[in-house]
Amino acid sequence: MESASQESPAIPPEWLEEFEAAARRPLKTRLRYAFIQTYKPVLDDAPFRAFASMEEYRRWCETNLPDWLGYGRV
Amino acid sequence: MAAFDYRQAREIRDVFRSCHVRYLFLGKSGAILLGYPDTTQDADLFVERSPKNGEALVRALRQLGFALTEAQAGEINRGKDFVQLKNGPFDLDLIFAPDGIERFEDAWSRRVEVEGFPVCHIDDIIASKAATNRQKDRESLPRLRSFRQYWLQHHRGSKEP
Repeated sequence: MESASQESPAIPPEWLEEFEAAARRPLKTRLRYAFIQTYKPVLDDAPFRAFASMEEYRRWCETNLPDWLGYGRV
Repeated sequence: MAAFDYRQAREIRDVFRSCHVRYLFLGKSGAILLGYPDTTQDADLFVERSPKNGEALVRALRQLGFALTEAQAGEINRGKDFVQLKNGPFDLDLIFAPDGIERFEDAWSRRVEVEGFPVCHIDDIIASKAATNRQKDRESLPRLRSFRQYWLQHHRGSKEP
């Protein structure tokens, strides 16, 4: 768990600018900018999937999804 | 399918509320609700696992337009750890046991309300992303941690876990 008492590095100026710009936008606008739709191979090819455990889901991702999607564990 | 939008987020909020579903926005969609500027494709919901909540959840999902078969409804009712829905008006991930968060009740006690949307605390969002140890989450963590700093400075009333 994160802790506020931990020494935190300064927020990079370009990120700070983005956070402040986002804070000025109403929620409706933030959501419009945030959600995008792109096709993700394999992942988007079934209408429903259920996994008994998160471990099962992670293994399924590693076995079935292309590496470049980034779902594999480090 | 069109991208998830504000109207659909409101529908989730309103229908889940009327069906008495206990849930929290988690993941990047949760962070975005808190003000984090980034992009994502689907909404991640951390749902309390209980028979009563499972039934309420299935009722709410059907009301939202998800075409659930009886078998699929049964899997949601039984509270599988992770359910991916792409058979409705938008994509939804239901997470009953997210990595990095011990109990729903703990996350619920730390939740943040944003215009009526129940959202996991930024620390829980980070904890769950860190625990997955996935490439895509690792890449997003430094910026998310910076956002945490910014968010805590501007939300002094928010509880520190």
